[in-house]
Amino acid sequence: MIVAIAVTQPQAPARQARRNSPMYRAWQRYRKNWFAVAGLIWVVIFFIIGIIGPWIAPYSYTYADFLHMHSGPSWQHWFGTDTVGYDVFSQILYSIRYALEIALGATCVSFLIGVILGLWAGLAGGIIDVIVMRAVDFMFALPSFFFALILMVLLGKGIFPMILAIGVPGWAGYARLIRSLVLAMRNGEMVEAARALGASQWHIARRYMFPNVVGSMVVSLAFGIPYDLTAQAGLSIVGMGLNPPMPSFGNMLAQAGANILGFPWLLYFPAGVFAITLLSFLFVADGLQEAFNPKGGV
Amino acid sequence: MFYVKFLAKRFVAIVITLAAVIAISYIMMYYSPGGFMNTTQLASALAPLAAQDPAAYQKLMEQFQSRYGLNLPLWRQVLQYEWHTFTFNFGNSMQNPTLSIVSQLKGALPISVFLAFGSVVVSVVIGIPMGVIAALKRNSWVDYLVTTLSMFGQAIPSFVLAVIFVLIFGVVWQNVLPVTGWGTPADAVLPVLSLAAGNIGVVARYMRGSLIETMRQDFIRTAKAKGVKYWALVIRHGVRNSLTALITVIGPQFAFTVVGTVWVENIFAIPGLGKVISTAFTNFDFPMAITAVFILGGTIMLTNLVVDLIYSWMDPRVKLQ
Repeated sequence: MIVAIAVTQPQAPARQARRNSPMYRAWQRYRKNWFAVAGLIWVVIFFIIGIIGPWIAPYSYTYADFLHMHSGPSWQHWFGTDTVGYDVFSQILYSIRYALEIALGATCVSFLIGVILGLWAGLAGGIIDVIVMRAVDFMFALPSFFFALILMVLLGKGIFPMILAIGVPGWAGYARLIRSLVLAMRNGEMVEAARALGASQWHIARRYMFPNVVGSMVVSLAFGIPYDLTAQAGLSIVGMGLNPPMPSFGNMLAQAGANILGFPWLLYFPAGVFAITLLSFLFVADGLQEAFNPKGGV
Repeated sequence: MFYVKFLAKRFVAIVITLAAVIAISYIMMYYSPGGFMNTTQLASALAPLAAQDPAAYQKLMEQFQSRYGLNLPLWRQVLQYEWHTFTFNFGNSMQNPTLSIVSQLKGALPISVFLAFGSVVVSVVIGIPMGVIAALKRNSWVDYLVTTLSMFGQAIPSFVLAVIFVLIFGVVWQNVLPVTGWGTPADAVLPVLSLAAGNIGVVARYMRGSLIETMRQDFIRTAKAKGVKYWALVIRHGVRNSLTALITVIGPQFAFTVVGTVWVENIFAIPGLGKVISTAFTNFDFPMAITAVFILGGTIMLTNLVVDLIYSWMDPRVKLQ
């Protein structure tokens, strides 16, 4: 009898624990935000297109249809063609791929550097902390876009250089966040209590620290991706992005702005897709922030 | 005395930051694979000379290098360049060797400054009332409209908005507002609006949140109990207290707007500093590029300093450090 109780008992609390886990409760709150759910759907579609886009594109991005230059939307060219005969629909599919590669890559680079330096500053303290925080102040003194421009000159044009040029200057925000989380955790009563109860380092990290920091990190990453998307298009706007045959939203927008008279379809689709994408990412980030931190924020 | 010490400290920090930025940019550009003489246009112009008379070509390149001090050791180049920059002796650009950089920027800088400050002013003028109304009519349709519009403004970057404006006013409603060039006041409307949209969103959202918070405070209840009229309560007690915190948002927003001017000037073909930066960077015109970054960076940092001063003046509880 006693054995039976011991076996059946844990099941109910286990389910309870899942319901009470921060991720589950965050998802419950996130689901109620219609904007955030709509944004998430588009972001998922965007990712899928980013992966399969080049395979479903009707034309290669290097294929110029000289017999149908400047043509409006038609069955042959769904979104029309541009001034050299490139198919705008295919261009958009390819630019989604490149935009995602660059934005995700750059966010990963920023996050990685930020985590390493933030952990180092928070855990080591002392002179290392001072140096890292001075460097953070330095990075915040100027917009990171200027650093990205200078790095593009050094690295040359291309996808990998853009990932580095946007990613490397973006570490400061993450480093500051991670450092403050480490400090709050290290001196927190919760961790102290867990240690006093004899919890191992791994257990403390997994069960006490991680659930408390995952929210802030996910939110900061979610805000980082649309920022990097904007930065990569912005680099193209000033002529420091991917070279023209490589399609990118920045190139298409800059070109559409220059050729607007007579060919407005060059603008409808790229600008529309890009604007909706950034909006969706922001809705997702906003929804995540509210979901993980229901009291804070305005 | 305290202010003197504070200003001196901040000023030293600004100078050190700018010096570091110049050194880093200079070293990066020194090691960059491209060069001004290797840009497509010049390289193709010089190719016949290099093929026919290599000695003359070599001499030309040496002349070019000694003209801009590129033949010195790197550390001397950096120090020399720092010295020239901080004495505001920017020298000549590579694209227009006969014109000094100062004379080229004289016309460009005021345009960019006007665009950046203008859009911040517009965003404050439009954003504050939007935020106040949203906060007072919380959870009504006005509130949702303001919040949604702010989200749109924040999410859509200025260059996308600029391009959309070009579409609207260049194709649909022609001759209402000019979409390219610079000169008349009407030319400024669209660039300033596309720059301001994001700031309006930030200001309105911040104002809304901060006013909701302020209106919950005890002193508001006290004032209400004393019989202060509704609008006096909102404006004199509520908005005034929320404004001080709003100042802190302006600093980062200004930096963001300066980056925006670089994009927007390229879309609207405005001969401002942003246009200068993009042509300088794409042509590897290092003196021009670094000077432009120096000026924009200095403007941003000085603005932040002024913002901090205003903040401490408006709210004496804030400690300057």
